[in-house]
Amino acid sequence: MPFNAKSGKFSASINTVEIGCGDKKITIGGENVLPFYTFDAPVENAPKVGVEITDFGLENEPECIKKYYEGCETVVDMAKKAASFEGVDFLSFRMEGGDPNGANKSTDELIAMLKEIAAAVDIPLVVCGCKHVEKDAELLAKAAEAVEGKNAVILAAREENYKNVGAAAGLAYKQLVGAESSVDINLAKQLNVLLTQLGVDGKSILMNVGSASAGYGFEYVVSTMDRVKAAALSQGDTTLQMPIITPVASETWGVKEAVASEADMPEWGNQEERGIDMEVETAAAVLAAGSNAVILKHPESIKTISKMIKELM
Amino acid sequence: MTLFDVVFNGNDTVYGLTENAVDAAIAQHGADKAVGFPHTAYSLPCYYAVTGTKIEKLGDMKDALAVIKSLMTREKRLNDAFMSGVATALCAELIEALKYIDGATPYEEPCYGHLADAVIRELGVPLVTGDIPGVAVILGSAPSTEEAAALVKSYQAQGILVTLVGGIIDQVAEAGMKTGANVRVIPLGKDVTSVIHVVSVAVRAALIFGNVAPGDAAALMEYTFKRVPAFVNAFAPLDPVIVACGAGAIALGFPVITNEETFRVPKSLIVQKDVSKFNATSLEARDIKIKITNIDIPVAFASAFEGEIIRRGDMQVEFDGSRVDCCELVQTKEASEIEDHKITIVGPDVDEMELGSKNCIAYVVEVAGKNMQSDFEPVIERKFHNYINCIEGVYHTGQRDMQRIRISKDAFAAGFRLKHIGEVLYASVKNEFEAVVDKCQVTIYTDPEQCKHMRHEVAIPTFDKRDARLLSLTDESVDVYYSCILCQAFSPSHVCVVTPERLGLCGAVSWLDAKATNQLDPNGPCQVITKERLVDDRIGEYEDVNEAVKKFSQGALEEVSLYSIMEKPMTSCGCFECICGIEPFSNGVCITNREYAGMTPLGMTFPELASMTGGGVQTPGFMGHGKHFIASKKFMKAEGGIERIVWMPKALKEQVADRLNATAKELYGIDNFTDMIGDETIAEDPETLLAFLTEKNHPALSMEPMM
Amino acid sequence: MALKGLDIFKLSPKKNCKECGCPTCMAFSMKVASGAMELSKCPYFSEDALASLSEATAPPMKTIKVGTGDAEMSLGGETVLFRHEKTFVSKTRYAVAVCDCMDDAAIEERLSGAAKVDYERIGERMYAEMIYVNHGEEAKTDYVELVKKAAAVEGRVLILGVKDAELAKAALAVCKDSKPILNGADASNYEAMNAVATEAGVVLGVSGKDANEIYDTVAALEKLGNKNLVIDCGTSSVKEAYAIAVQFRRAAIKDGDRTCGYPTIVNAAVLAHGDKHMQAALASLFTMKYGSIVVVEQMDYATALPLYGLRQNIFTDPQKPMKVEPGIYPINGGDENSICLTTVDFALTYFVVSGELERSGVPCNLIINDAGGLSVLTSWAAGKFSSSSIAKFFEEQDIAGKIKNRKLVLPGKVAVLKGDLEAKMPGWEIIVGPKEAVQLVKFLKDMQG
Repeated sequence: MPFNAKSGKFSASINTVEIGCGDKKITIGGENVLPFYTFDAPVENAPKVGVEITDFGLENEPECIKKYYEGCETVVDMAKKAASFEGVDFLSFRMEGGDPNGANKSTDELIAMLKEIAAAVDIPLVVCGCKHVEKDAELLAKAAEAVEGKNAVILAAREENYKNVGAAAGLAYKQLVGAESSVDINLAKQLNVLLTQLGVDGKSILMNVGSASAGYGFEYVVSTMDRVKAAALSQGDTTLQMPIITPVASETWGVKEAVASEADMPEWGNQEERGIDMEVETAAAVLAAGSNAVILKHPESIKTISKMIKELM
Repeated sequence: MTLFDVVFNGNDTVYGLTENAVDAAIAQHGADKAVGFPHTAYSLPCYYAVTGTKIEKLGDMKDALAVIKSLMTREKRLNDAFMSGVATALCAELIEALKYIDGATPYEEPCYGHLADAVIRELGVPLVTGDIPGVAVILGSAPSTEEAAALVKSYQAQGILVTLVGGIIDQVAEAGMKTGANVRVIPLGKDVTSVIHVVSVAVRAALIFGNVAPGDAAALMEYTFKRVPAFVNAFAPLDPVIVACGAGAIALGFPVITNEETFRVPKSLIVQKDVSKFNATSLEARDIKIKITNIDIPVAFASAFEGEIIRRGDMQVEFDGSRVDCCELVQTKEASEIEDHKITIVGPDVDEMELGSKNCIAYVVEVAGKNMQSDFEPVIERKFHNYINCIEGVYHTGQRDMQRIRISKDAFAAGFRLKHIGEVLYASVKNEFEAVVDKCQVTIYTDPEQCKHMRHEVAIPTFDKRDARLLSLTDESVDVYYSCILCQAFSPSHVCVVTPERLGLCGAVSWLDAKATNQLDPNGPCQVITKERLVDDRIGEYEDVNEAVKKFSQGALEEVSLYSIMEKPMTSCGCFECICGIEPFSNGVCITNREYAGMTPLGMTFPELASMTGGGVQTPGFMGHGKHFIASKKFMKAEGGIERIVWMPKALKEQVADRLNATAKELYGIDNFTDMIGDETIAEDPETLLAFLTEKNHPALSMEPMM
Repeated sequence: MALKGLDIFKLSPKKNCKECGCPTCMAFSMKVASGAMELSKCPYFSEDALASLSEATAPPMKTIKVGTGDAEMSLGGETVLFRHEKTFVSKTRYAVAVCDCMDDAAIEERLSGAAKVDYERIGERMYAEMIYVNHGEEAKTDYVELVKKAAAVEGRVLILGVKDAELAKAALAVCKDSKPILNGADASNYEAMNAVATEAGVVLGVSGKDANEIYDTVAALEKLGNKNLVIDCGTSSVKEAYAIAVQFRRAAIKDGDRTCGYPTIVNAAVLAHGDKHMQAALASLFTMKYGSIVVVEQMDYATALPLYGLRQNIFTDPQKPMKVEPGIYPINGGDENSICLTTVDFALTYFVVSGELERSGVPCNLIINDAGGLSVLTSWAAGKFSSSSIAKFFEEQDIAGKIKNRKLVLPGKVAVLKGDLEAKMPGWEIIVGPKEAVQLVKFLKDMQG
């Protein structure tokens, strides 16, 4: 008697969302099965991989990243270079320097940089804020205006500033709205509901349900994603059927396992290897939990994860 | 003449003017001459939005006039007046568009005339977010320059966008005020027809932000009514043209406030003779709430000061409810009875009190709001402790008529007085309870006679009434229950169904709390659960409750009963105060609580029981619950109720004894029921317990077997 | 559907004899229902009761034990598909791979490397628990000798990747007492391999060209009475291995197909041969989705640090947050003169707070209280993070004796404790810190400035 595998196909599916425009636009979501369960039903759109650069350019990057951008003078040069790395589907520009508790760069300065980048690359864009909710309210609203017509993802609207970011990105300039909540299915749902009540089309929302590095409370990320996908697919909860995008690099390149120098931790060995594996393993895990897109940094990680996705599809 | 006549006359006048202007323009330029406003993708936005048709050349205007005419019906019904108002507005738009023919720039500094799409996108975001809480359209000339300036400034201070039409433009200039989009005071133009440029803003906001389809007039009006918080202030004298325009504004949902004695239409055409009250009247009419960002007190206000303790030596004065007459109270009033932000002190202030003295205080916060219910009064009141404690140098404990407040010497020296307590209460209540409180005023009594009166004649009767209401609240007496999923982060599939007689199992969420949470945060953790489709009265099972539980547990849980521990019992998260479990040898249940670490006759300790019954899984025979639930008449009602309780830790038993004994007396006529219940000093194993119960002739022993 | 405690209790002897170790039959029944005890611990269930219960209480997935002594470990025994439903039971184990097709130097390097990664993280020992000893097609060295060498590495469980029954027998002769896994049965040899494995008393691994073949072979082995098995997810492709791992686990747990209910081996060393980063990715993927054993070519710190962290996160009780050890944690070279900050022992809180403190660059002492592993507000609400508990903890740990600085920063969420703390801890200046950890960097900078 052969193995009688029951299909785990659901009648509901994740929203299909197109990001970007022109030849290089990408499509995510649309599946009616759990992550990579191609044996249950075909998965039309493979998860996508993005590369992250920030307004600091190479300033704060570790040596192992810098070497890949050799010859780049400006952030725009970096953007062009990043877009050419193997496996890259989209570019994520993070305006880290806007944080008032950090470099506190002006909105105008950052928006000018964003405009240059948008003009220089043709792959889809994800624009990330500085994580300071008040500053992001202003910065991301301006960003939505600056990339009008690009069908970019504005990451992210949070509960505290969803009105500003949602109204500008989702209503005024018709971009895609990233909805960020912190590892709790009910918060994720609530934010989606609030955004749709504001008038944002649910089909133009992507969720960032929270992220962490492997080992750092990652179980919350897993359980949140597991539950979001279960609610979206088996319960047909339309307020949770938005695809998930997960910034991985900004988490993993901050933990000591990835950044401690070999001089400080001789027994741990090569720092670049540690950085890559932390990024690769975290990305593989969030993809297994249901992310439809991940944002990475190291070209080697991007190549590996992109290859893993292809092999699983 | 009726209001209808005035509107119809005004409309006819404007229509006539428009017809003439269009004809003249065609005569001059020819029917093919291009027309339109600069920097907009929406042609003549108002006409386009209402009809779905774009006007591109002069000839189109002729067709438009015919369409407009069709709106001008003359029955004396409200709708006819509104449509005539809309027709008047559309005519105004045609007239204004004609001014822009041949790329003309008809408006000069400081007037703006038509506003570009880019400006709308920029203003639209803060309008949607509420950062611009409202849009004032001021028409005509104020009685004086001073009054004009004062009115505009009052709106400006609230962040409201002000648009000016007519004589007020000169008045504002005369007063030396700056105008412009950057200061959110926009003079449009001096002709009445230029008012269409602000209507155009509202209309384009609907097209851009509301995804309203051009031509869907009903959706347009719904959007402007619900989402564009605009209102009109029209100064006397009003002519029929202005009244007709006003009808158009009302059709879009914007109330008109005027100082001319004219017709009144409730909530839409409001007469306010006192121009200094235009602001308050307008905000109330349009239901605009201004967020308070800054509390005006001389000391800091932050949660960092919540734990501050003022010692006797550092104290300027104190108020002590345990010694003298004090009370704190929230009272619901009619909106008309309250003057928002009024703070009244009755009696001596802190600087008139002796250093280190003990004084009376009674503060009454009166609130009004369309969604306010008296059930929320205690919920708001309970927050006072937190609010007052957040003031630097002020300390608060207790509640109701037993509160104690100390004000430190430092706070006093910094200028802190009683009215600042009023400011803090006002601002905190308005901000935190925005969803239910529209208006709020605070009265603080320190006069001993007044305090005595407030405490004994007002506060205590109110508290008694509330307590009586709480006691009379039964599951049967309410129409809905509430879900609570606050702890799903820990216990993903758990849903509490909170009813009046069964509070959340954490012990912290009563039915009233859940109701208030739901009102204040409609998308939050507490949702309404109807109870219309009863399945089984005995165990308390409802189809609606089952559906809700299934939805909120993401399908993990399909059916629950409210009153049974054996059949489809409610699940438990991990936060329960108590767990009760079936004790088969005595045919009853044992209850143990979190604080009790020892063994129970079930053979399991609290942590062991918790690990087996928690996690949102149904475990027949075991259930987590709040302490308060123990004396409830609904406590495992399906299995016979509290008569089944055979064992509790001593401390818990003492804690609930009074209420439990009362319920037992009422339900079964048993006196001192708790004497029959075992505890750890009597038995920690089932055999000894059974012997004890037999000796006491505990009722559970002769009840139907539970299994 | 799993049985409820009461269903078991109804059939129990109800005599509270305590022979099973539980004080009451009710407690025993509840434990059996939750999978914490086996029904066989009670000698008094009637035949009928046993028959009706054992089928229902038997876990959908077998628990397979391998190794001996300190190295004994359990695989499988899972009852749910997602960790939020219930705690996963047996964590994924990792194996490093050697092969008789490698030259001696390479083998030496692998085996010595296998023991290199060995550290503790939040109370758990992290190391590659297993060694996969493969018999390749072109052997360069004697397989049995290689097995001996691998067996010499202290405390590791061996997996013998060999399909030749005779060779397997020879290899087991030198290592069977340490209870290795013999991963070598397939449709063509299962009878012979079954005999070898059964005789040696070791777990048998089953492979096949596809899911159907594996399923049939397992069924055939079960018929021969062997239920001491693991399933090899195969090496044809990542996609196929993932499909087998997921489908078998799901069929066992959701559909109750016990033939699928065995632990799995995923051989990433073969699936991504020579690609270290891909092996890391696959190790992570299969830790998430249903690999009981994942084989990699080698385990270095780069792969291990995130992987073991991930595993530790995934295999935790969803209702019991992870805890860190209470005590003083000096950060950025903090010493007795550095400022103190205090918070709870909830692991997530600790990681977030310590991360932000490191980011600030300010030398300080993070003092972790014993708060039952709950978050700040939860522990505060539960009375486990109160002024008395903090004061008591400081006294017990003699913090004042160890640190001279008398400034103590309190989490902003429990600002309400300030006054009481001042009263209970005279001499300390209690400072209310920010509500969120992310504001700590600015807070500390402002304080210095």
